[in-house]
Amino acid sequence: MSQPLPPLKPLPIKERLSVLFVERCQLDVLDGAFVAVDATGVRTHIPVGGVACLMLEPGVRVSHAACKLAAQVGTLLVWVGEAGVRLYSAGQPGGARADRLLYQARLALDEDARLKVVREMYRRRFGEEPPQKRSVEQLRGIEGARVRAMYQQLAQQYGVKWQARNYDREDWDQADIPNRCLSAATACLYGVTEAAVLAAGYAPAIGFIHSGKPLSFVYDVADVYKFETVVPVAFAVAGKPVHNVEREVRQRCRDMFRKTRLLERIIPDIETMLDAGGLDRPEAQGVVDAAFPEDEGLGDVGHRA
Amino acid sequence: MLVIVLENAPPRLRGRMAIWLLEIRAGVYVGAYNRKIRDYLWQQVEEGLEDGNAVMAWQAAAEAGFDFVTLGANRRVPAEFDGAKLVSFLPPAVSEEAGE
Repeated sequence: MSQPLPPLKPLPIKERLSVLFVERCQLDVLDGAFVAVDATGVRTHIPVGGVACLMLEPGVRVSHAACKLAAQVGTLLVWVGEAGVRLYSAGQPGGARADRLLYQARLALDEDARLKVVREMYRRRFGEEPPQKRSVEQLRGIEGARVRAMYQQLAQQYGVKWQARNYDREDWDQADIPNRCLSAATACLYGVTEAAVLAAGYAPAIGFIHSGKPLSFVYDVADVYKFETVVPVAFAVAGKPVHNVEREVRQRCRDMFRKTRLLERIIPDIETMLDAGGLDRPEAQGVVDAAFPEDEGLGDVGHRA
Repeated sequence: MLVIVLENAPPRLRGRMAIWLLEIRAGVYVGAYNRKIRDYLWQQVEEGLEDGNAVMAWQAAAEAGFDFVTLGANRRVPAEFDGAKLVSFLPPAVSEEAGE
């Protein structure tokens, strides 16, 4: 037997397609490649290493080998319910960079640094300086009011009847069309953002504006892009008679991510937002040194080579 | 834009290519990646090709707008013509000597 192929390495997030949805199939590995096999036995290769995150819809079964391969190529698997209501997620190992996790935790625990990060997020999100001398809680309040106004304004712009952002997780079909569109759209954004947060070597749970949720930091980062990318898409679809709104929303979200170059911007932006905290970045030496040296990878710093 | 064509390649290499590229016809893979990743993919081809042969073409700043590299024995060989890179098609006898 000849020598084995070179090791599999994750590619940088910015080189990849944003999201890919699969439903009703068996995901497996064939000749080392990621395949989706449907009920009729049709095989479809999925270039899993070229996708930032793979969204698994109901009816998907995943083999052990497929999960292992997704992990090796640094692709996030996200289990989503009907219309993108998230159920569970795993697939890309996170937390590979102790230095970055400690840095992020230090920023979040230092009240002064945390406020600076929150202010930077506010600045990026609304394109203007946040009011002076406000606490994180006060800024959160201001943000909430602005967000409600933006929903209202966009709804009007696209001719959508809008009441409020609400949905009942227990009773999905009760949600109105605009809310369903928004949920499907934000699911796409959260998937890509979580993949980027992990790839950049940070913890999804350690948030600055949001806290106490497994994806707090993902929500913080995603909010910066939300009104620029997915919300207009959701309202545009909600304002038109479309047969399958969720499907339409996610395809347009993908176009929007491409148009706004989201995948290229997101990791550098995360770094800038954390830099605003004003704490020195940790020296990588001495913190991540392992018993044996790690291979240099092609991927982002949070990817395990 | 990036195209890799594999002929007579072992299944594990074909599977490996499908991890990043789309196999649009048997042994024909397409994708869009930067130089670093192209080199990484070609390294996989080099190490996994065994007795097969391969060609990779990509969009480049060259006058033709693209460039390509080959590996393994094939009747089609790259040929330099007055600074331009073309392909010569060898007659059968020559290619047999070349080990086909």
